[in-house]
Amino acid sequence: MVGGGLGWIVAVNLIIWTGLFLYLLRLNRQLRDKERGS
Amino acid sequence: MAVPDASRSHSSSPLTSSLAWGLWLWVAVTIWAAFYYAPLAAGFIGESSRILFFHVPMAWTSFVAFIAAGVWSLRYLFGGRRTEHDRAATAAVELGMVFCILATVTGALWARIMWGAYWNWDPRQISITLALLFYAAYLVLRGAVEDPDARARLSAAYAALGLIVAPFLFFVLPRITFSLHPESVINAQGKVEMESRMLQVLLSGSAAFTAFFFWLHNLRCRIAALAERDAAEKEA
Repeated sequence: MVGGGLGWIVAVNLIIWTGLFLYLLRLNRQLRDKERGS
Repeated sequence: MAVPDASRSHSSSPLTSSLAWGLWLWVAVTIWAAFYYAPLAAGFIGESSRILFFHVPMAWTSFVAFIAAGVWSLRYLFGGRRTEHDRAATAAVELGMVFCILATVTGALWARIMWGAYWNWDPRQISITLALLFYAAYLVLRGAVEDPDARARLSAAYAALGLIVAPFLFFVLPRITFSLHPESVINAQGKVEMESRMLQVLLSGSAAFTAFFFWLHNLRCRIAALAERDAAEKEA
């Protein structure tokens, strides 16, 4: 990372977008469960 | 700003589905453009300038979230004390914190490459940390007050204060002190002096992250509304 290569930016992106995607899936599932329950 | 409606069914319409797929496609194109379309900025080590296309949009989105929280708080205070406005403000602050933390972390990683250390006491780093502390205090305040009406009223007044604090921390403070940070997209002279392809990718990324924020916000508000309704039904 010290050299400023591309790898760390790709890794950071991968982590951020995977995290956002999984969070979105979790919210979708929570909403579906709550709607089913009510 | 419209508040998400909890009574709306989750079953996705073709339009919602198309919008969701469209946003993911947009994100994919933006990521591709950040690596293959935009040129490298002069004066940066290696490929480090490409973090700009993610770091700046996340900081921007956190600012949008904090301003949205302030607007919903004002609507709560002066628009009939409706709980959906309180819920919307809280969800906006929580999501704004997430984007603000991501912007801080990506900024620190970039600082390690360019400045040799993750933390440099740069005005930009200090101001974003102050913003994080300011909105962390909002969440602490909400956790500290038990009475729901008092909690909503106090936290709305606090978040409304953020309409002054957030612009000062994001735009004024870093400009009135010497900073190692690269010049903002809109520079001190009020002009945009960025290579056009870089600017296109930056704007596209900012729009994608902002859209993502409103999508997440919508879901969070609807979940919170259903949870409150369930709790009220159990009590009755």
